[in-house]
Amino acid sequence: MSALTSNKFDVLLTAETRTRPEERWERAVPVFGIPVVTSSFLVLVGLTLIALVLTGYRELAGLGPVSGMTDAFGWGIWKTFNVMVLTALGSGAFAIGIAAWVFRRKKLHQLMRMALLTSFLAYACGLLLLGIDAGRPWNFYWIVFPWKWNMHSPLAEVAICMSIYAMIPLAVENIPPILERLWYFDSRLRPGVERMEKHLHSVFPYIIAMAYLLPGMHQSSLGALMLLAGERVHPLWQTPFLPLLYVWAASFMSFGCVAGTTMLCCLVWKRAMDMDVLDEAARITCWLIYGWAGFRLIDIAFREQLGTAFRFDRFAGVFWIEMISIIGGGVLLQQSLRTHDKGKMFLGYVVSSLGGMIYRFSPTTLAFRPNPQALYFPATIEILVSLGFIAMGVAGFLIAVKRLAILPGPLYLWHDMASYFRFRRPYIRWTGYFKYGFFGEDEQISQDNSHS
Amino acid sequence: MDITRREVITKIAKTGATGAVAVTVGTHAVREEGESIPIPSTAVGLLYDATICIGCKACVAACAEANDTPPDTRLDGLHQGPDDLNDVTRNIIKLYKPTDGTPSSYVKRQCMHCLDPACAAGCPFQALAKDPETGIVSWTADKCIGCRYCTITCPYHVPRFQWMGYNPRVTKCELCSTRLERGLKPGCTTVCPTGAVIFGARTVLLAEGKRRIKENPGRYYENKVYGETDNGGTQSLYLARVPFEDLGLPEIGPESVPAKTLRWQRRFYQYFALPALLYAGLVQVIRKSVKGHVQDAHDHEKETGLRAQL
Repeated sequence: MSALTSNKFDVLLTAETRTRPEERWERAVPVFGIPVVTSSFLVLVGLTLIALVLTGYRELAGLGPVSGMTDAFGWGIWKTFNVMVLTALGSGAFAIGIAAWVFRRKKLHQLMRMALLTSFLAYACGLLLLGIDAGRPWNFYWIVFPWKWNMHSPLAEVAICMSIYAMIPLAVENIPPILERLWYFDSRLRPGVERMEKHLHSVFPYIIAMAYLLPGMHQSSLGALMLLAGERVHPLWQTPFLPLLYVWAASFMSFGCVAGTTMLCCLVWKRAMDMDVLDEAARITCWLIYGWAGFRLIDIAFREQLGTAFRFDRFAGVFWIEMISIIGGGVLLQQSLRTHDKGKMFLGYVVSSLGGMIYRFSPTTLAFRPNPQALYFPATIEILVSLGFIAMGVAGFLIAVKRLAILPGPLYLWHDMASYFRFRRPYIRWTGYFKYGFFGEDEQISQDNSHS
Repeated sequence: MDITRREVITKIAKTGATGAVAVTVGTHAVREEGESIPIPSTAVGLLYDATICIGCKACVAACAEANDTPPDTRLDGLHQGPDDLNDVTRNIIKLYKPTDGTPSSYVKRQCMHCLDPACAAGCPFQALAKDPETGIVSWTADKCIGCRYCTITCPYHVPRFQWMGYNPRVTKCELCSTRLERGLKPGCTTVCPTGAVIFGARTVLLAEGKRRIKENPGRYYENKVYGETDNGGTQSLYLARVPFEDLGLPEIGPESVPAKTLRWQRRFYQYFALPALLYAGLVQVIRKSVKGHVQDAHDHEKETGLRAQL
């Protein structure tokens, strides 16, 4: 081990390990040295505030004056984009979690905190907007009476599972970074924190299993929603396998979202990238994409609708944009595995996720034909509210990665951070993740380590 | 709100209990439930004969009066002239007039009161529900969350959402169920000067429709009563000279939309058994993974001297 780390430029990189040992992600490290409140953060907060004010107006005026929704297009971007599309991007906790916990791809545990955070934010913002989009939200209280549920309604499935999922498994899975923060915050809190962690770990298997069952159910039910719309959804999209394709698309999109966001963060905040972990994610993503695309094409061929893809109309156009960007993204990812090109990998994630976003958006909007004349375009207020809630999620993300240990990083980064907080800003004790709870008070673990 | 204790118990058992696992998977009982459509015992409905409708719209005015809806004057600010069903219009007469000179026809649009209504199948909290006796599909304000899923699922595009105001409602024909309770017929059927729309028990109306087809061969499109089997059967029945598709009554087939599309959905969630089974399996696998992961984390802690992150 020491021989490896001492000789920095010793090239021992094989096909299996593309990452230099000191650059390996071993630990989640907060982003340090940058204030939370920056100009871009203020822009995000401003957008959020605008959205909240407009939300108040929407509650008084009704949906008509603030949106482009009509009798023909009863659902606007609040449901079709912020819920259908963004929760697919926020399925990281589901897809990466299954790969890491169920299929035991151990490397992916490094991405789990990012996945859990992005999922929680995407779902929280989606759920808030779902409540705003509902015309009579005060009747949501029926959700606590299971015998009043219409168990066979896909929408009930979505509403119930999504709320439970975001409030219980996702929230609980996001607690460890916060507890960890408290542990470093003040040594007097440590016994309590450790006790809570112990309880948490004992319920973890049940919570984690719930965190895969519930999203699997509601992400597929999001697809089942449009089954009832029958022939009003263009045959290139309308298929009995819509639920499966939806959940499948969500899984590769969320890999793209989590890995892509992590790469972007590493780029912006100049952190090392662990290409072993990213390669693993890219490999899984590209096979998910190929499988999905193949399954979709076979399904279309079996339903004998392949001809409609070659008509010269907007539906065929949307279909090819989707397929080309998704498959193209998969090809880029596969090439990046061979050529070791980070740029290509990032582009592959972006392109395939964008294609997936269009796919998730199509059945409700782009490929939905309630009648030949009907067209839908969101109104300005609708777009502002939608953007505002996305901005809220991004702002929450920025706070979280700067205050909590979310982003993965190499070991030296943790020590850098600890010394940064110790020597540069010792007067603000609550910023610190350094080893001392109080000054002068040493830590137990380092003593254990000294004799090993 | 009248739930019996027994119903509460059975519903709770249906939703959550893992005990139901053994009952369901692959049994015949599962297959039966989703696919057979029970016809309400005293199903009532409308029979509309487009060939004798003269398009006077008396029924539109009568409907507004019976349901106490304000006249829709949004078109020109003066006349009641709704261009389609909307938040104040439960019933409308439309004219289908093709440009190529083939026969034209009026059509009366209102709720079809399907035997297996897609709107009720999709409604998350049973705000839209079918009356077990009369078969009338009606909307309950107290249960509706305003999700507008009904406007998407209804194959006839009947329920309409109120887009203005803080307390929006969903509007659809409820066959004047309040008038029926008082022993009166639905508003539209009381004023029709030619008897183009009549009210009665579904069986009687169906027989009447078939009698008309038999007495006037060649008068009706495909000699068919629309709604006898279409979309699993509806309680509003139609006779017309022109193709029903042109009148906004799509060709759906004898299988209802929910039965056709939600078959697998329904089987999967039957008694919640399969999800419960899946959950049990996942817990077993993850338990082992968590154990291994915790071990790895503690090993790593020893190695680096930094507190384990789980």
